[in-house]
Amino acid sequence: MLKTVRWCVQRGLRTIAARSPTTSELASVKDSGQNADMENELEVAPQRTSVLDPISEDISHIGSYLKPTFNLAAYANRSEVIQEFVKLGVNLYYIEKKISEAVPLILRLKFEDLREHVLFLNSLGVSFEDVGKLITKNPLIFKEKLEDLKVRVNYLKFKRFNDEMIARIVAKNPYWLSYSTHEIDHKLGFFQKNFKLNGNEVRSVAVQKPQLITFEQQHITENTFVLKEEMGFADEELKSIILAKPHIFMQGKFRLQKSFEYVHNVMGISHEQILQNSEILTCRASRMRERHQFLVKLKRDQFNAKEPNYVNLVTMVKDPDGVFATEVAKSSAEAYNMFLKTL
Amino acid sequence: MLLPKAPPIWGALNGLICVYKPAEMSVRKLRNILISKISKEMNELEVRPPAGYVAIEGKPTEKLTVSVRPNFADHPLVVGPRYQERDLAVSWSNHLGYYTSGVLLFGIKSGTREAKFIRENLPTRAYRVKGVLGLMTDNCFRTGKIMMKSTWKHVRRHNVDGFLSAMQASHQRKMFELCGVDMESQAAYDLAKQGLIRPANAKIPIIYGIKCVEFEGPHFTLEIQCVNEYEDYMTHIINEIGLKLRSVAHCTDIQCIRHSRFTLKDALLIKHWTLAGILDNMKTCSDVIKESGDLVHQKSATLV
Repeated sequence: MLKTVRWCVQRGLRTIAARSPTTSELASVKDSGQNADMENELEVAPQRTSVLDPISEDISHIGSYLKPTFNLAAYANRSEVIQEFVKLGVNLYYIEKKISEAVPLILRLKFEDLREHVLFLNSLGVSFEDVGKLITKNPLIFKEKLEDLKVRVNYLKFKRFNDEMIARIVAKNPYWLSYSTHEIDHKLGFFQKNFKLNGNEVRSVAVQKPQLITFEQQHITENTFVLKEEMGFADEELKSIILAKPHIFMQGKFRLQKSFEYVHNVMGISHEQILQNSEILTCRASRMRERHQFLVKLKRDQFNAKEPNYVNLVTMVKDPDGVFATEVAKSSAEAYNMFLKTL
Repeated sequence: MLLPKAPPIWGALNGLICVYKPAEMSVRKLRNILISKISKEMNELEVRPPAGYVAIEGKPTEKLTVSVRPNFADHPLVVGPRYQERDLAVSWSNHLGYYTSGVLLFGIKSGTREAKFIRENLPTRAYRVKGVLGLMTDNCFRTGKIMMKSTWKHVRRHNVDGFLSAMQASHQRKMFELCGVDMESQAAYDLAKQGLIRPANAKIPIIYGIKCVEFEGPHFTLEIQCVNEYEDYMTHIINEIGLKLRSVAHCTDIQCIRHSRFTLKDALLIKHWTLAGILDNMKTCSDVIKESGDLVHQKSATLV
């Protein structure tokens, strides 16, 4: 019996609090000491004048928060960071589409952190235009502390990369500085060990194609297998390929196979000749087929350097169609276009 | 450097273009290349500058100032390029298979309607199909696994010609039979007078003309005029011809050399896909459509 009465009292209090409180009601609740907020409000309430009275203080800064937006543009006119990024040439649209996890990071950034990072990258010899491109590709670089970045650059200096090399590496490979020194050391070691390179050669590969060093190692292992086991290049030959054209190890393996198959099996080019002109392995098989068939049609497919009318493999694939038709095939651009429409 | 303004050029990009499709590339890939090339070049022209941002600042109790600042929310680096790939409507009028090369029609923006009309009018197409005697593959094309070998020396040019003319005649007779008219009647003559008899269903392939244009060793080339064909149908024709000639054959190349009135001469190679080239091609295509009269809009309800 006693229990039910107490429950009723409590419930009654709750219903009173839920309603809009009048002074008399609040006064009765006050004794119970239950609702501290109500008590404060009770003291403030008599001082407030009518809501219809004109107000003198400035409340223009009070506004609603931004509702969830579907792009960064809604923040652009309020955020200093976004405006600075635009001035640097950072493509925020690209970041939003491709690296969406970086967007909250950008919105939380303060101008001071941004400034220090950008000035540090610029002090390495990277132009502001390239810094913009770097941030576009890797906005997560702002996650890294400035001290860490300095340590990573110092590591490169310790490994005897000079300032020009470092500037090129950082500008060409936006992700390089996001890797710790331990990881970079491991990656450089991977190339040194797998291709038996000496210090100077590792540096030359890293500068020639900085993206290769941080590329997926599984892919490089696969391409090495394709070149060695399927195409039949020896270990020393792999070394000369990576020094001449490191990009070959970043290509898709099926594309590489197709190019090699056409060059070696259809055109009949030997391994030695391919090594001398390793650039032809970067050429797409379809482009090679078009050009080779045109030369065959004109009876100009002579790839032996010791005989007359020799066609250099690199010049055959390198130049645009017009130059190829006139200089290499000794024909005209119109004739080549006509030929392309018969394939 | 003074660049041409983008909006008038965007407005002019309405119509049909005729392109050359290389083999071993899908039509969808080709469409994506076209769209990305056009939008890339459009964005390099003089596009709309960012609109101004009207800022009203100051204390509301005192004097407010109104100023116009550059609007960062409308900057191409923030909202994206002015001409985006998804804004451009492109559709194809005839579908060519992965291994087929040749004439392909693309409708751009309002040209997609024309492309649809041309497709629904079932225009004839001409193909040049190459085959090799002596080998049969599992998919009847050069990419398949070799299933059978056979001699081919006994096959001569006149054997091929004879069989092909019989095949053409049987296709033609079949069409009259399907129309329900006797070949030796006035009704059949009246029907033939109107032009090609086309199937009501767009799924039934019909051959109007087939002949051998080249015969050398095991290699031969056919020229086929047809409607409603598809890649597998072409390869199977070659396979069938091989068997009927008491040998086997497989197909090596399929090239569409004519689509309604568009020929290889009008077709634009991928390397010429610039805004200037595309607009030029659009002009020649609209001329071809005007000349032909009923290519897009048919005058009578019966498809003739």
